[in-house]
Amino acid sequence: MGPTSRRLRAASRGFGMRNDPARHVLGPILGSVVLFGLLVGGALAYTATGGAARDDLVTQMLINAIVVTGIGVYVGNTGVMSFGHIGFGAIAGYTFAVLAISPERKTQIIPDAPFGLAEVSLHPAVATLAAIGVTLVAAFIIGLGLTRSGARTGAISAAVITLALLFVVHEVARNWTDLTGGGRSGISFSLGNKLEGRTWIYVLLFVSILVARLFRQTRVGRLAQAAREDDLAARAMGINPATHQMVALLLSVVIVAVGSALRVYALGVITPRFFFFEYTLITLAMLIVGGRNSVTGAVLGTVVMTIGLEGMRYVAGPDVNVAALDWLLRDGLTGIFLGGAMLGFMIFRSSGLLDDWELDTWLLRLRLRRRSERPDAPPVAAESPPPQASTLATSEVTVDFGGFRALEGAHVAVEGGEVVGLIGPNGAGKTTLLNVIGGVVRPSSGRCIAAGRDLTGAPTHVVARGGLVRTFQNLRLFGSLTTQENVEVAALVAERHRSGRPGPDTETLLRGVGLWELRGRRARELDYGNARRLELARAAAARPDFLLLDEPTSGMSDAESLEMIHRVRTTAAAIGAGVLVIDHDLNFIVGICDRVYTLDQGKIIAVGTPAEIQANPLVQAAYLGSDAGGHRKSH
Amino acid sequence: MTELLQQLVDGIGRGSIYALLALGIAVIFGVMHLVNFAHGELITVSAYVSYALFTLGLDWWALVPAILVSSMLTALGIEFAAFRWVRNSSDFTMVLTSFGVHFVVQALFIMGVSANRRTFARPSWLFETVSVGGVNLEIYDLAVIGFTLVTLAGTVWLVRRTMFGMTLRAAAEDFEAARLMGVRSNRVIRGAFVLSGILAGVASVFWLMRTGQADPTAGLTPMLKGVLAALIGGLGSLGGAVLGGLALGLVEVLLISRLPDGLVGLTDGMVFVCIALLFVFRPQGMVTIRRAERV
Repeated sequence: MGPTSRRLRAASRGFGMRNDPARHVLGPILGSVVLFGLLVGGALAYTATGGAARDDLVTQMLINAIVVTGIGVYVGNTGVMSFGHIGFGAIAGYTFAVLAISPERKTQIIPDAPFGLAEVSLHPAVATLAAIGVTLVAAFIIGLGLTRSGARTGAISAAVITLALLFVVHEVARNWTDLTGGGRSGISFSLGNKLEGRTWIYVLLFVSILVARLFRQTRVGRLAQAAREDDLAARAMGINPATHQMVALLLSVVIVAVGSALRVYALGVITPRFFFFEYTLITLAMLIVGGRNSVTGAVLGTVVMTIGLEGMRYVAGPDVNVAALDWLLRDGLTGIFLGGAMLGFMIFRSSGLLDDWELDTWLLRLRLRRRSERPDAPPVAAESPPPQASTLATSEVTVDFGGFRALEGAHVAVEGGEVVGLIGPNGAGKTTLLNVIGGVVRPSSGRCIAAGRDLTGAPTHVVARGGLVRTFQNLRLFGSLTTQENVEVAALVAERHRSGRPGPDTETLLRGVGLWELRGRRARELDYGNARRLELARAAAARPDFLLLDEPTSGMSDAESLEMIHRVRTTAAAIGAGVLVIDHDLNFIVGICDRVYTLDQGKIIAVGTPAEIQANPLVQAAYLGSDAGGHRKSH
Repeated sequence: MTELLQQLVDGIGRGSIYALLALGIAVIFGVMHLVNFAHGELITVSAYVSYALFTLGLDWWALVPAILVSSMLTALGIEFAAFRWVRNSSDFTMVLTSFGVHFVVQALFIMGVSANRRTFARPSWLFETVSVGGVNLEIYDLAVIGFTLVTLAGTVWLVRRTMFGMTLRAAAEDFEAARLMGVRSNRVIRGAFVLSGILAGVASVFWLMRTGQADPTAGLTPMLKGVLAALIGGLGSLGGAVLGGLALGLVEVLLISRLPDGLVGLTDGMVFVCIALLFVFRPQGMVTIRRAERV
């Protein structure tokens, strides 16, 4: 390892890229360089063979690539739908134009500009910085609103809020004629004063691609992607999506602002129509066609759509003389192409051409293939930390759902390192109790205390950071992340928020549950048993004091659940955590638990060793459904 | 006082059209969880049908049934061509699909007819005013309100009293459970599109009587109003959609009449901001239907 990469490694430490710099730093940089090279090389080859019209087209395409890459930083990493990024673009475009157009020109077109802006004259670079600043302020406010509305993957509220931004900016631009020149003419640079040459476009395009690509590998980027895949599971790992979404939004808006300023500067004019519905849909179509989760995809989509739209324009133009086309008006062809591309990809391939594939994943896979010929090192036994001397206890927890009392005075206690079971018939309130502990359901009364901290009613991610991490009854993995990435994400959170606690590394955990061979597989492609095991490993990677397992063996065969006993025990021992486990499978519970609580109709009816519980008549009545205790009938 | 009454009637008239559109959007959201941004295309198609029939020399008496039928068929056609294939997809996919439909329909009219505006005669007698107790009211507004009431009453009957209405409500409550109970998903979704098409047809008739023009983006403004009204009402709630439409109409009329001249151009923007704020503070809308997610 050379000094350069060592320095890179040091620099990347703060961004959560410490492990595997080839994957997180060198690969993306190399990939970005190659991507940029291919794009610019192709563009130059195209312009070298044609006239000035081709130059303009290529300039527009490269600028669009910046804008689309910028939108992708937000939409791709967070999964939140945004129709408002072109609205941010409009803010940036107008700010740039008003500041950069020469005062002589401004006294002609907008002599009454407010705040004395008609006299201002800034260098284009300074004007761009100012545009970024203004747009960032707007984005921050919108971002707060999005957070407040609970934005997450595909949230309608986010679509509405961002769409509102787009329309409001448009209307303001049309009506504030003193500043914007209104809807018709807009404001324009004086002749010969617009952007010449493409040097700046190249530089800014490369920086945008590089930043967007590296962002995907940063801690913030990866945690945002986890939340994109499953918001609740991410929170239960200790991720607070709001922060990461905000960072992604601000970064993406900076890139969009740069692209928009360039667009205005290259066109030499801005009107409200330039940054409205049509451009929003064109850029979104580019992003979607290429693959919204990938930077390579954003660039590819821009190229493909530009070629397609240009092709349609050519067919619709006077150069093509086909009689069949004449009975149609040719104007609509580009619209058909745009809408058709959008529809076709949504229906047949909604993840776009590339999904989340990047150039460097491919480069990296070549390297992995060479590597895998080396024999696997045997799993290193981790020095398991001693069990924590802490307690998880709930006291008198009561939960009412409307008129229905799901829990009534439920109390459980788990000591560090202990494995405690929670059983009961369907609807007894087991999962509700777990939801109360995990901060998903707020109890009507009662407390939940872990390691001396009162976590009652705390948000889910705070509970997780406090050392209580759960799995879910109906599997919630980060589907399009790989097996390894699922575990790494949890480890990233633990590094920051559970740093006081040692824990085994990702490889040890994955080997511990027998998934190391499948580490490169997407989580959604795992079969059921493996998916359950991955959830266990992911929860363990968050280094909890207590693991809360919701039916870890549901749907498993007897042999599989016996094996699961072993996995849960070794994993819990490896991180020194106590376990609270819900299950229906009595063999499993008896095989794994030190103590068992029995819940029936919201109340704890028995506590004891598995043997005591099995012998308890109340339990038999409630759980096994026999009439022995007559407990049920007494109601 | 009379001025206020006039505005009230004006607002309810405007709001009635929004309510019909919003109701159609809410019905579809109920069964598919889709926010249909292509709902306005029904109006676009109706506008061109009106224009075509009008050039053939037909009058509004023929136009009205033609609009209702074409709107319904268009709704079915769009379901068949596009939405059928993205059922159960993510919200992201469905919303973008509806935008795709919007673009294709718009482009088809640009190609097939023209990008330019076509006009046809408005029924002028409808826009005469009558004086009711000193208040001057347009016959148009009264007609809109009257026919909307009839349409709503019909819809209520359909939803409450018929087997189809029952399956529709069941599907909106829990689609999977309804399917397991034997509700045929194809049939109920198709039915929902037919219903939304007819509702949009009634709205189209009145919208086009006022505008009297057809252009490829004719449906954009009413679509946005309908979506906004449905959003105010909480998307899946049918009653909420109607209330949302009426509220939107009233707020618009009041804003237009109260705002100083320089700001009237911002009316739509202000309404949009209000709704965005609503979503910031009450993401589930005014009329809430809780969709509890089991974890």
